[in-house]
Amino acid sequence: MTIAPERTAIYEGSRIPKRVPTILDVPPELVATDDILQVNFGPNHPSTHGVLRLIVDLDGEQVVGVDAVIGYLHTGFEKNMEQKTWWKAITYPERIDYVGYQNNELTFVLAIEKLLAIAIPEKAIWMRMLLCELNRIHSHLVYLGTSALELGAISMFWYTFREREMILDLSEMVAGARMHTRYFQVGGLAEDIPSGFFPECRTFVEWMPKALDDYLGLLDRNQIWLERTKGIGLLSADDAIALGQSGPIARASGIDWDLRRDDPYLAYDRVDFKVPVYPGGDVYDRYRVRMDEMAESTRIVRQCLDKLERLEGKPWIADDRKVVLPPREELHTSMESLIHHFKIVTEGYRVPEGEVYVAVESPRGESGCYVVSDGGPRPWRVHFRAPSFVALEATATCMHDALIADMVAVIGSLDAVMGDTDR
Amino acid sequence: MVTRLRDYGLQSERLLWPTKGPSHFEEEMGVEDLEQALGLTTLEKAVRWAQTKSMWPDTFGLACCAIEMMAIVSARYDIARFGMEAFRSSPRQADLLIVSGRVSHKMAAPLRQIYDQMVEPKWVIAMGACASSGGMFNNYAILQGVDRIVPVDIYVPFCPPRPEALMEGIIRLHEAHLAGVPPAYERRQVAT
Amino acid sequence: MNWNEIPGFVEVKSAHGETTVVVERERIRDACSYARDELGFNFLADIVATDYLHWGGKGVSGYIGTASGRDLNLPMTQGLQVQPQPKPWRFSVSYHLLALREGAPRVRLQVWLEDGEPVPSVISVWPTADWHERELFDLMGIRFEGHPNLVRILLEDDWEGHPLRKDYPIGGEPVRFSDAE
Repeated sequence: MTIAPERTAIYEGSRIPKRVPTILDVPPELVATDDILQVNFGPNHPSTHGVLRLIVDLDGEQVVGVDAVIGYLHTGFEKNMEQKTWWKAITYPERIDYVGYQNNELTFVLAIEKLLAIAIPEKAIWMRMLLCELNRIHSHLVYLGTSALELGAISMFWYTFREREMILDLSEMVAGARMHTRYFQVGGLAEDIPSGFFPECRTFVEWMPKALDDYLGLLDRNQIWLERTKGIGLLSADDAIALGQSGPIARASGIDWDLRRDDPYLAYDRVDFKVPVYPGGDVYDRYRVRMDEMAESTRIVRQCLDKLERLEGKPWIADDRKVVLPPREELHTSMESLIHHFKIVTEGYRVPEGEVYVAVESPRGESGCYVVSDGGPRPWRVHFRAPSFVALEATATCMHDALIADMVAVIGSLDAVMGDTDR
Repeated sequence: MVTRLRDYGLQSERLLWPTKGPSHFEEEMGVEDLEQALGLTTLEKAVRWAQTKSMWPDTFGLACCAIEMMAIVSARYDIARFGMEAFRSSPRQADLLIVSGRVSHKMAAPLRQIYDQMVEPKWVIAMGACASSGGMFNNYAILQGVDRIVPVDIYVPFCPPRPEALMEGIIRLHEAHLAGVPPAYERRQVAT
Repeated sequence: MNWNEIPGFVEVKSAHGETTVVVERERIRDACSYARDELGFNFLADIVATDYLHWGGKGVSGYIGTASGRDLNLPMTQGLQVQPQPKPWRFSVSYHLLALREGAPRVRLQVWLEDGEPVPSVISVWPTADWHERELFDLMGIRFEGHPNLVRILLEDDWEGHPLRKDYPIGGEPVRFSDAE
């Protein structure tokens, strides 16, 4: 990783507000003029992604004060997961970041596997990687469709959702459900990959670059798009690190950091992909980072397909019967399988005592899972490091010297999913 | 079977003036019975038909179900066929509130405010398991079913429901309304 | 990396490939400044708090296997029950740090405290700690000294209690035939 010392600073100094880093305060001289209008962009608003409430102070069209209020989607995931066994708790993390759902599932499952010290078969590693990369494309498509819709480029929504439907078809073919698949299990995958998946996935991989060219053709030389995104919502690299930003927001500010390459998990050290980094730190660069990431994800999916087609017939889940459910055909003949199945489903498998923190590169940044186990069948404490929670902390810094119309562009570019923020 | 005006208890000029032949209009229509060329309905039915054909939803996407609600607007599950692609942001202009996603206690007050701001007639669809009953989140933070604070017409199960499932719920709402079923606030006689 | 030099050092533990450095509660801000400036951990990933009330008590049945690990598939390992290690205080607050350089070194700085004891805020070291500490105050009830805006963030302002504590009930509505034993 190189935070290149020779890069030009996007702006001098730090724009993080002094009193409270996440609240932009109205300057006292403006308060004295009695000319400030306080507007509430309430939780129900078409342009805030989900239920985000922004209390904005306006001086004409200029935004002089911002305070983000979150918590309208607080679900109590962490407390709820303490009540369930490990196997049943896997259904919860997917619904946290409900657009990039495979990555949350992956962090939780990887954390349990780290505590259990269990070995995963090759097929499961590559299939997990393939599904996570498809999910990254899905997340960036939803981002692109909704951000463009909010800025007025309405037709992008229909184009991106067309590709999104193709990805969800693939997900349904593999796991039975379009979203929130519960396909990743401790030890590998829940079921084998169905035949017929690989040709369909190849069709998608061949189609995706043409679709990306379509999107670039629609937006990239569009004067209105460029005017509304270039130079808006600036965030320098030092401010980004101080504010804990990662993922596309950090890479658009010039920080060359990607957990897939620098702290590899699954099989990311065995595939070839580039990490897009842009120096500008504005909304346009974040858009370009996500567009390039979609192209790179397509490359990774192609490499995973090449590898997986050679692994047909191999096991898809680990052998350890104390943790993994036995195959259903065995339940008719083997007594031990029946007993193990019963114990795992009712009481749950036990995970040794310890605490781990596992982080993956989700479409929004570093998504982590901290698990504390007491040796029993239920988690003692589960905590999710939410990249959207941290991304919204940067709202006040990015809104320095911005107009009200820029606020919509900035919030869209931070790509915060409120389920991830509020957990 | 042809229903004649007199079956409704109306007296047409034909009855009052038995010797008058067919009018100019009837001759132009060129049919034996005028009733075969006209559609007869009541005002309530006609109004209900119009309401079902353009029932505009409110943008009330909360969580995962909101992404599937956006999918029904997309090209594959095109809800513009039913005249509903115009999601109104202002509740004053919306007819249908699709509560899509889990409702926390903090969000319950804004939800009720939005429902109150909508103008009659208004319908509510509880989309997904979390809106119908709290879903998998039986805890301190989530409202156990949105029907605790707003009267619900249609419940759509699953987590998240397929876009086709949501559309089935919407179509059943249309059919119920066409058949004359009053909106939920009338049936439950609650404040609107 | 020599962890003994860190201000307020108590002990260092290593498990599952991760390093946990326990420091004194009052010195956490100096320890974080040291970690950021001297050791290069410039990225605060997360601040987590765990409530260890009733740890090792009734209802926590512990792990069944060998004392050293997980070799349950070896013969003659049944019947050995390992109780969890006792914890010194009720709450632990863990700071997950990452250094954005080659090798991605990570470390967990941990402080232990009892109910009611405040922790110095590290907002001056990493501004991102702002919302993390507010969330811990909101859900766990841990006060952070020096935080400029310590109010509830995820729950309503007039909520009573701190839900993530172990003595706070799960809430919701009762469901028939599903008593938690």
